[in-house]
Amino acid sequence: MSKPPHAPPLVETAGVEKIYAAGSKVAALKGVDLSIARGEFTALAGPSGSGKSTLLNLIGTLDQPTKGTVSYEGRVVSGLSVDSLSDFRLRSLGFVFQSYNLIPVLTAAENVEYPLVLQDVEPGERRRLALDALRLVGLEHFGARRPDLLSGGQQQRVAVARAIVHRPSLVLADEPTANLDSKTGGHLLDLMEELNKEHGITFLFSSHDSAVLERARRVVRLQDGELTADEVRPDRI
Amino acid sequence: MLRLAWRNVWRNRRRSLINVAAMGFGLAAIMFGQSMMRSLQFQLIEKATGSFTGHVRIERRDVDELKFPDKFMTDPEPAASLLAADPRVLVWGRRIHLTGLVSSANMSLGALICAVEPDKERLITNMASYLKEGRYLEPGTKGIVMGRKIAGRLDVRVGEKVVLMAQAADGSMGAEAFRLVGIHETGSESFDGQMVWIPLSAMQELLGRPGQANELAARLKNIEQADAAAADLDAKLGPGNIGAMSWKKIDKEIIGIQAFQDGLLTIVLIVVFIIVALGILNTQLMSLFERVREFGVLMAMGARPRWIVRLLIVESALLGLVGTAFGLAVGSALIGHFGRCGLALPVGDAFKYFMPFPSVIFLRPSWGMHSFACATVFLVTLLATLPPALRAGRLKPSEALRHV
Ligand SMILES: Nc1ncnc2c1ncn2[C@@H]1O[C@H](COP(=O)(O)OP(=O)(O)OP(=O)(O)O)[C@@H](O)[C@H]1O
Ligand SMILES: [Mg+2]
Repeated sequence: MSKPPHAPPLVETAGVEKIYAAGSKVAALKGVDLSIARGEFTALAGPSGSGKSTLLNLIGTLDQPTKGTVSYEGRVVSGLSVDSLSDFRLRSLGFVFQSYNLIPVLTAAENVEYPLVLQDVEPGERRRLALDALRLVGLEHFGARRPDLLSGGQQQRVAVARAIVHRPSLVLADEPTANLDSKTGGHLLDLMEELNKEHGITFLFSSHDSAVLERARRVVRLQDGELTADEVRPDRI
Repeated sequence: MLRLAWRNVWRNRRRSLINVAAMGFGLAAIMFGQSMMRSLQFQLIEKATGSFTGHVRIERRDVDELKFPDKFMTDPEPAASLLAADPRVLVWGRRIHLTGLVSSANMSLGALICAVEPDKERLITNMASYLKEGRYLEPGTKGIVMGRKIAGRLDVRVGEKVVLMAQAADGSMGAEAFRLVGIHETGSESFDGQMVWIPLSAMQELLGRPGQANELAARLKNIEQADAAAADLDAKLGPGNIGAMSWKKIDKEIIGIQAFQDGLLTIVLIVVFIIVALGILNTQLMSLFERVREFGVLMAMGARPRWIVRLLIVESALLGLVGTAFGLAVGSALIGHFGRCGLALPVGDAFKYFMPFPSVIFLRPSWGMHSFACATVFLVTLLATLPPALRAGRLKPSEALRHV
């Protein structure tokens, strides 16, 4: 990945802290500085409770840090209005969740189309782009199915298609393989890696499964809300 | 969005059907209640005005009892010509009401003597249709028609003679023999046991009051115009001691009953509305609670909170539309059925004392009230969704996504 050294990273957290105040105060993140460049395929590792989901939520602007900032390409997004954040996510981010979270009443193709509906993309264009995305995840023949008629692995592929259909600059995936068996999980990672390599989509995903972490080109380790390691694996580039 | 909303409405088919059924049957019950009350009132009014009162009356303002005016208009003709000229009037007639004595060979009884112009009276009221024996009055004769009960007490039969006595204009007792030509049976105690009917001209002669009457009764083409027509006539009559009034002023007890029923109906409707609203609120809360995580997904995808609120409102509007349509169908079917077949009502007997009253009512739709009910049910559905929808709009995406 060659890029001008002075260009700002795609996303950067600066001194991000998160304290949950429900009941007793829990410091889930204690000052995290992390920057992700365009094109990365990075994993967030760490034991349960280390703060992976919290960090992904903050980067995904689904929650606000207690302290510190999150910025995209040099622009601070923490503190923007609710609607501006919605619009930002709509254009720039894609999400894959542990439990697929497809909308049960919509078909696979309609689920994939959804972000484009929110973007007011014209219906014909919408269908074409959704079909493209489904083709990328190898499910172009399953577009008419409802999620409950798809296997877990297929549902998660649909979720990936939904996360990339609008060409976001970053896809955030919180434990995308945790609900899949290791073989299916491996296939999903193949797919993500291919999308990263062939289509330049930046991925940041979390996992505590070492087989999954193996696949990342960079692994960032979290422990008790702090970054403890940041290894780049040149051998996988 | 409409497509998504429509599918969301039916995602939990059972719950939505229960919701629709609750709304539908609630609305149908409301419409049925409205229609029943209105039809009952309509029939009550029809009977009261149609059997005796008439729609509009002209009589002296200083009478003690509007329903049975006992004071005479010495010259009713100017007022009569007003009625004759009013295009809203279908038919009108002169009347004299006076209490008097009716005697047979072996018995004397007090009675309310109603002297009418027979030709006109059979159009103003339907008393002629209650004749069970004999025939109706004929103008210029000395015939009398009376109720079955009073005839029974007097022990007279059709063709026999009775003597009427009443106080004449000069204060003396006027007396005259009349031949019983017909007997009516309305089922009403006060009609069948107290009233006797004779031709107006015979009465004027008996009382020594040629050309006089104590009321003019008119039937309008449309009873709804009674108030307006009465007001116009009253204005034309001027401030003298003769006035015009609508049946509403005369049959006050019906208006009282109507107000009472309307009040009752309103309370019942409010209760039904509250039940429907609570039911919908409850199921909406449940279904929204189950979908919190989905709202989190939508927000993560970039849906603005307002968009989600709008989606939920559209969903409930669709649900409300389906429920209202269903209720409208069931309600109309019910009303239609009982409009054809009639509905037997035990309360009919209670009114029978005062006037001939049917114990079967035929339901007729009153669309003004029904559309109000439909609109209210629909709005209640929308309003019931508003609080949970607004709450969904205030969710934080990260929290919504954590929701199980
Ligand atoms: N909404 C919340 N309210 C209170 N505490 C929270 C909340 N979310 C997370 N925490 C706490 O913050 C800490 C970090 O949680 P987080 O979910 O980020 O960890 P994680 O690394 O994703 O764990 P896992 O691997 O189990 O998903 C934990 O101690 C957790 O209990
Ligand atoms: Mg987690």
